[in-house]
Amino acid sequence: LHLLQHLQTNNFSSADLCPLTTHVLNTGDGIPAAKLDLSLHRLDPRMMVWSMLSVGTTNADGRCPALISREHFLPGMYKLRFETGSYWENRGETSFYPYVEVVFRISEAEQKFHLPLLMSRFSYSTYRGS
Amino acid sequence: MSASRLQQLKGHILPENKLTGMAVSPSPLTTHVLNIEKGVPGSNMALSLYRKNPSTSAWDLITTAATNDDGRCPGLITKQSFTPGVYKMHFDTDQYWKSMGESGFYPYVEIVFTVSEPVQKYHVPLLLSRFSYSTYRGS
Repeated sequence: LHLLQHLQTNNFSSADLCPLTTHVLNTGDGIPAAKLDLSLHRLDPRMMVWSMLSVGTTNADGRCPALISREHFLPGMYKLRFETGSYWENRGETSFYPYVEVVFRISEAEQKFHLPLLMSRFSYSTYRGS
Repeated sequence: MSASRLQQLKGHILPENKLTGMAVSPSPLTTHVLNIEKGVPGSNMALSLYRKNPSTSAWDLITTAATNDDGRCPGLITKQSFTPGVYKMHFDTDQYWKSMGESGFYPYVEIVFTVSEPVQKYHVPLLLSRFSYSTYRGS
């Protein structure tokens, strides 16, 4: 039964259903960044404006499942916006960055893309992971 | 002390404006771009500095420049213009990778930060590879 549950859990986050994932880590405190608001946007190439596709909040593990479905994940320019300023404010602290926006290009939308954000009050990093 | 030695010492203490020969105050805001994929400075990268207009919330362009051979960009902003507010550094990473015949994951990098005490020095570096980048408030 345990194995079946494990397989079922994995199905919900398989590459087919969730081609884009993120993971936010609070490196200042060494914990996942939970309850951090974020949004996903895509650039309309004709109008050159950003359209918001989804909003979410990270869970206790700093993750935000179901950002976008495979069928909506088209090639193009995307932006993940992390409300890091609000996150630190809610913890009673200031930070250097009011928010973090990561702009990236998707040319092969059949792949899986993992975009983590490692952040502290005075630094952040991101990379294309797996 | 010889005149040339005196000039050398002055050069160490105060950066010189090559056009006028007069000493200019260094910019209170600096950056340093590093290509960590190759372990070299990120040279000749186009960048722009903006300040958020508190009335309109639009981004006012302050400087357009490019990094030098050392990946630095002196003279980003003057002390007088460096008022408290929200600033944005825009790095044209697409153009940078293209100039080396490569393409990166991030078409550009924008770092938005808050300046609350402009009397301090603010150093906003960018450590970059084709598939990652990081920044921090440095000195």
